[in-house]
Parts: sequence; structure tokens; C-alpha cells
Amino acid sequence: MFALLPTLPYAPSEKAGCGGIAIRATNLTARARADGPVAFQDASFEIPCGCRAALIGPNGSGKSTLLRVLAGLTRAESGTVFIGDATPRTGRRRIAYLSQRPHLTAYFPLRLRRLVQMGTYAHHGWLEECFHGDQAVDLALERMGLTELSDRPVHTLSGGQLQRGLIARAIVQGAEILLLDEPYAALDQSSREIIDRFLFSQGQHFTVLMATHDPADLARFDRILELRNHAVTTRRACDGHGHHHA
Amino acid sequence: MLESLREPLGEAFFVRALTAVVMSGITCACLGAYVVLRRMAFVSTALTHSILPGVVAAMLLGFSPYLGALGAALLTAAGAAWLASRRDTSEDSAVGVMLSVMFAAGIALMQQANSWRDFAGLLFGSVVSVGPEDLLVIGLTAAVVLTGLRLLHKELELASFDEEYAQLLGARPGLMRVVLLALVALGAVSCVRLVGALLTTALFVIPAATGVLLGRTLPQVMAWGSACAVAGGVVGLYLSYYFPAVPSGAGIVLCCALPYLAARLIAPRR
Repeated sequence: MFALLPTLPYAPSEKAGCGGIAIRATNLTARARADGPVAFQDASFEIPCGCRAALIGPNGSGKSTLLRVLAGLTRAESGTVFIGDATPRTGRRRIAYLSQRPHLTAYFPLRLRRLVQMGTYAHHGWLEECFHGDQAVDLALERMGLTELSDRPVHTLSGGQLQRGLIARAIVQGAEILLLDEPYAALDQSSREIIDRFLFSQGQHFTVLMATHDPADLARFDRILELRNHAVTTRRACDGHGHHHA
Repeated sequence: MLESLREPLGEAFFVRALTAVVMSGITCACLGAYVVLRRMAFVSTALTHSILPGVVAAMLLGFSPYLGALGAALLTAAGAAWLASRRDTSEDSAVGVMLSVMFAAGIALMQQANSWRDFAGLLFGSVVSVGPEDLLVIGLTAAVVLTGLRLLHKELELASFDEEYAQLLGARPGLMRVVLLALVALGAVSCVRLVGALLTTALFVIPAATGVLLGRTLPQVMAWGSACAVAGGVVGLYLSYYFPAVPSGAGIVLCCALPYLAARLIAPRR
């Protein structure tokens, strides 16, 4: 019966693949809240494909707002964002965004496996139920060291396990760009190691922009964006690892 | 024993009531899963109470009470959404305003009719007076609501669990909320005949709250909730058949509360 229904995509179709620049922001101005102060003004920067970029800056400097604008969750007041050759709205399935404190409905009856499976929704339209993608879900769970926990209700997971589950969801989504808002804030050592291994191992075909507070961490990044006094400055040349997805 | 179960089934009105209770119970329990998990119990109370002026107006003006009820419920939802669209008005107070205004309007309208007795069924329900047309309306609403829930299952689940991710993927969590409110309004309209405007919210909240205690996934929550609503509804009906002192609406709600209490006591703490 469901095969007969017209399926409408959530987002307009787009060309896959990342050629050169993953994120390009031009003269971006935004506020965290419509009636709040300006978080940053006329910010312009580029992040090449395959780059591991850090986003640093004091508390309240607007790091989270910048990530939300790039994810298309907060509207910029002016300026443009391009995700590859698409806007955040049309290129949304390429982006995964992990907020500092995920706003998940408490005690929602959901097993970890179903949470990770939600990543496949990016490739489905309205009214379509997905009954496949189990293999991808298994693989992602395994990479995040969550195989044993796959049948656990989400609300019984620790902060680190949940964070890993959300990254597994991004893997299943096939996100090419990971926007991470201080992902290590509440993690134990083992969760941190698993996520690190995934993000910084060689041969990973995705771009990372991670807000971080840890100065010792910065050595690992190819590019550093600093947000200070409402402006973004870029340090370090990132050659990029120009790559194409099949 | 068996005979006393079979005896009421000989009566056409009882069979109609039974059918209505089963259909409405399942509809409300499935919708109620979202109502409870998304903490929309107060909104659902407002929608169900606000049916009152719509039905009274329909009776006074002579059009279908179901249309009146649906119109009033949708008006309440839209009004609350509009009131809450200002940053300095919380949704909670917006809903509270609409609930009181609509209910007061209903009471004022009832006064115009000069006879409060006609409206007792509206306030407290009278499942035994369910006619074939009522059954048709209840069946149609159940079909619309359950089909909607099935088709939009993945979107509703996603938007209810992780609104931000739904927004990121373009699954329109705001639209899903409106759809859910519209479905709750529809469900409320189909129940008002059974338990009355004052108690309809119980059918949304109590069975689903039982389901949340017992189920580990959303479909499980809906299944447990439906089982609880059907069991409570059927037992409540028999109760009021053999003890006419117990009004059917109240009987149904009280019998739905028993499984909740049992689940509350035995369900493992999570």
C-alpha cells in the first residue's frame, strides 16, 4: 500500500559530493535570539573539504550560534552560507549537528537502535517508512562501541553513550560535514577516545567543525577559527583532502 | 457469570455503545501516546473542554453538533497558537486563556437555551444514546486519525523525540505539532458523546500514561494504551449497565484508571 503513495522529499534533491570547499560563509551576521545582541558580524571564512577545523572563543562569544547558522537551525540576519554548492536548507542531509546538550524528550520510549536508524530518514521523504539500512546501523553502532547497548532504552544511556549514539546516527545519515558543539563537555575517557578515533583517523571522508575549549586539543586540527569581539579570524592553512563521494 | 456478560449484548444500544467505546478508546490511546510524551495534556484538556460552546451553538442554530465541536476545538488550537506567538506569552498561559474563555462562552450559550438538562449528556457523556450516525462519525474519525498516525509515524516520532534533528532534516516539527493538535481535536470530537466534554481528556491521558509505564517503544506504548482503554471502556460499560447509579462516562474513566494504578505499582522503575 505504501509503495503506491507519492513520496515527497524533505529537502530538494541536490548533487552529492564535495568539490573543494565544504563550508563557505560570506559576510555572515547573526544573533542567538532575534531580540538579543549581535553574536558576530560580517564573518567570512572557508573550510575546505576533509578539513578538521576547531572553533574557539570565550564563553558567550557566539560559537554555538555560528554552528546553528551553518546547520540552518538559526537564520542569519545577513550574509550567505554555502554547504558545498548548496544552502544549508537544500544541503541539509549532508550536515550533522550535535548540540552541547541535546534537547531530547525525556523518557521517550525509544531504543538506541531506533535512534541510530533515524539517520536514514535523511534519505527518505514524507510518508515513507524505512525498513532497510540495518547493516549500516549495525556498522555505525559497532564503530561507536555501542553494539551491546543497541536494545537499551535511550534514557538509560550515560551522557557519553548518548553522544556516541548521536554520532552513530550522523554516520548512518552519511553526513559529509559534522558540526560539533563541544562534544567532549560531559564525556568520560573511554567515550572520548572512541569519538577521537573516529574523528581524527586518516582516510575519513568528511569535514569537521568542532567548538572546543581545550587549548591542548588544538594541535590536532588543520584549521582554527577564532570567534572574538564579534569577528571570526582564521588560522592555519588547511590543504583540504578534496574527495568525492560515490 | 457468562450469562450476565452475554445478556446486555442482546440490546442494540449496548452493542453500539461497545463498538463506540472500542473505536474511540483505541483512537485516543494512540493519539494520547504523543499527548503524554510531549507533555500536551493541558492542551488536550483545553481542546476537549472548548468543544462545549461549539456543540451548544450547533444545537441552538440547528446544524451538526460534530461540526460545531470540531470548529470550536480548531478555533481554540488556532487561538492558543496565536496568543502564544508573542515572545512574552507562554504557551501555558495562552492555552489557559483559551480554555477559560471558550468554556465560559459555552456556559453563557447554555443559558440561552433555558434548559440545562439537555446539556448533561454533553458535559458528562451518554454512551447509551449513541446512534448509528454517531457510530459512523466515530468510525470515520478513528479511520482518519489512525491512518494519519500510521502514515506520519516516522515524522511524528522524530519530531516528538528530537525536534532539532527533525528541523535539521526538514521534517517540519512545527507542522507536525499542528497536525497533532488537529488530530487531537478530531479525536476529542469523537469521544464527547461517550464520556462528555469534561472527561474526554481522561481518555487521552490515562491509557497512554499506562502505556508509557509498560511499553519500551512507541508502538508498544500505543498497544498497551489501547488495551487499557478497551478493557477500561468495556468493563465501565458493563458496570453502568448493572449498576445504573454509575454514569457510563464516569464508569469508563474510573475503570481506565485501574490499569494505570496497577501499572504504576508493578511496572519496574526505569
